[in-house]
Amino acid sequence: MITRQLPMYRVVTDHPQLLPLFPRFNLKLGFGEKSVEQVCKDHGVNVDFFLEIANAYLDELYVPGEGLSFFSLGTVVNYILSTHNYYMDIALPGVEEKIHLLMDGSALSEKEIALVTGFFNDYKKDFLAHISQEDQHILPYVLELERQSTLERTDPEFLQKLRSYSIREFEKEHDRLETSLEHLSTLIIKYLPPFDDLQLCHQVLNDLAALVKDLVDHADVEDKVLIPRVAELEEKLLNTPFPG
Amino acid sequence: MRRSGFILAIDSYLVRKGMVSILNRMNGIAILKEFGTAEPLISYLKNQSVDFIIISQSIFDNSADLFINYPGLLEKTILLKEGHSGKETPGDSNIQAYTSIHLMEEKEKIVWKIRGLLDQNAPKKIEVHTAELSPRETTIIRLVSMGLTNRQIADKLFLSAHTVMTHRKNISGKLGIKSVSGLTVYAIVNNIITIEEVTSKPAQ
Repeated sequence: MITRQLPMYRVVTDHPQLLPLFPRFNLKLGFGEKSVEQVCKDHGVNVDFFLEIANAYLDELYVPGEGLSFFSLGTVVNYILSTHNYYMDIALPGVEEKIHLLMDGSALSEKEIALVTGFFNDYKKDFLAHISQEDQHILPYVLELERQSTLERTDPEFLQKLRSYSIREFEKEHDRLETSLEHLSTLIIKYLPPFDDLQLCHQVLNDLAALVKDLVDHADVEDKVLIPRVAELEEKLLNTPFPG
Repeated sequence: MRRSGFILAIDSYLVRKGMVSILNRMNGIAILKEFGTAEPLISYLKNQSVDFIIISQSIFDNSADLFINYPGLLEKTILLKEGHSGKETPGDSNIQAYTSIHLMEEKEKIVWKIRGLLDQNAPKKIEVHTAELSPRETTIIRLVSMGLTNRQIADKLFLSAHTVMTHRKNISGKLGIKSVSGLTVYAIVNNIITIEEVTSKPAQ
């Protein structure tokens, strides 16, 4: 369990799997003896939000609870955006490069290579489409919803829109992105002929497994934190009687 | 997913409620009943079937006859022992449960043990995974994986191209996979088609 008094360097030495989270909060290393709270404060990060996300990441049983409702939706949206950037700029290109290297040095037939690279290219396309849909439509909608809720009277035009759209519809079509990656791992582990470059092959499998876990945790933040709170806010705005 | 039914027979109220709170946060578990003494547990088990029993050492010792008479129960029993793992004091009885949890164990380890049991208990994965797909859809996904176009599939199965399209839409809807490459890999990892059929046969 990570607490606010713990020295930040211990968070990293004890749980290196949390490293991908740091850039998402714009936290850089070189912590010295500073506590989690101090480091967060220095970087303008909401410490409670950091703790919730870090602990959720470590605990497979974690159910985001009351803790997460203390933060503005804006904080959650920012976190989701930087996670998306991490997937697009770092995680996905990283594993893609390794897959290509693995294919280049392999004894696979042309068709087997085409199967893997074709699969990954299509996956990447779906992935980018999914993320840009969220970044360009869903998240701005959430921010606008939160802004409207602080106004004395909701913009009638926005209210009109709200009557025909709900975040629950997004939830319905919110397909999980990790299943296809698991298929790719299974393909390598069970069905493709073995690779000579074991090191590289294992790195690819490790990267895929880490990405799958990250995507599952991320989907949890969206499904269990973002969507319920947005739905609640939608309700509230719709049920506020027109002034006058 | 079918949930596994648990009953808890633990004399310490605090330990019992602690266990309930761990189980409640895990997926795939239903707590059927809680007991604090041996007698009601014994009469319950004579009439009801359960998947797992989590039982404290003292209740286990007090209901030893039951476990001797129904040896199958031992496979379902998780014994709660005092202290740390490796340092336990042996119980009175000479029968042993297969799995045990120690009171001083970390939550992660307890969860890990229970999850292991649940996985064992899960129905074995069938050879060909078609639970989600109809036989017709399975045939179509095979042909798609072999590189056939909708037109070719329609001719081969004596269907209209429109019907094939509808099947394809349903398949994509069920699996959440739209691309041909995605469907192909799905078909391979679910044993609908072999990788040799995909990669060595020329599409016709």
